[in-house]
Amino acid sequence: MSQRSELRQQYEIIGSLQPAIHTPQNWNYEIPSALYRAYMHPPHDVGGQRDVPVHYEEKEEEQWELNTYVTCEVLAWRGVWNAEERRRRADNDLGYTLYLGMPYYGRWIWAAARMLVDKNHISLTELLEKIAEVKSRYEAH
Amino acid sequence: MKRTKAPHARKSAGNAPARFKVGDRVRVKDLPNMFYSRTQMYARGVSGTIAACTYQDLIPEDEAFNQEGRLEQYYIVRFRQKDLWEEYPSEKDTLQTEFPDRWLEPA
Repeated sequence: MSQRSELRQQYEIIGSLQPAIHTPQNWNYEIPSALYRAYMHPPHDVGGQRDVPVHYEEKEEEQWELNTYVTCEVLAWRGVWNAEERRRRADNDLGYTLYLGMPYYGRWIWAAARMLVDKNHISLTELLEKIAEVKSRYEAH
Repeated sequence: MKRTKAPHARKSAGNAPARFKVGDRVRVKDLPNMFYSRTQMYARGVSGTIAACTYQDLIPEDEAFNQEGRLEQYYIVRFRQKDLWEEYPSEKDTLQTEFPDRWLEPA
């Protein structure tokens, strides 16, 4: 966050991502059972929820999406994870806000990175430094 | 690099025998949700009919955490839409979805 004004703007965006319950959630001492069940509900179990009609779009995969797909499949092929673990991480562990907010393959690559860190194949420090290195390489062009 | 865990959920040789056959009435269990499930909330506690015995595999809740386990029979269960959604307009429409043996009980 280079500019302090950007920092304030970032806090505004984070605040707007809170769940639509719009009741202050400040580390409550007690919660009703129904709310507990709602918190435990797996985000990918969307059947039965109300929604507005969605415009159907025939969208082709972009290169980064194909790369993500292949990377995740190769990780499975080499026995680093299985498809159900991938779904658990990419559809569930990331939580509602990311589940609903990220692109489909964005969730896949997030889950792959998290899994590689969890299983000590890479360290978080390595990952962050690599992302920063690649980012600065792109910014130089 | 440190590897803390066998990456693949191993499928042990012993299979749990299939408890149901096509046409049997079954009810979907209403187990608590925590960390992961593929059993839809709307189907829990609802009765339907076995439409097909599909294949044997690990149950999702175990495989998702690389737990070893016995293979279980999977079934396609057919529900009346009216049983799932009270306000559903047609009596005839059905919905089919799939569950492993463990998630079903005789109805």
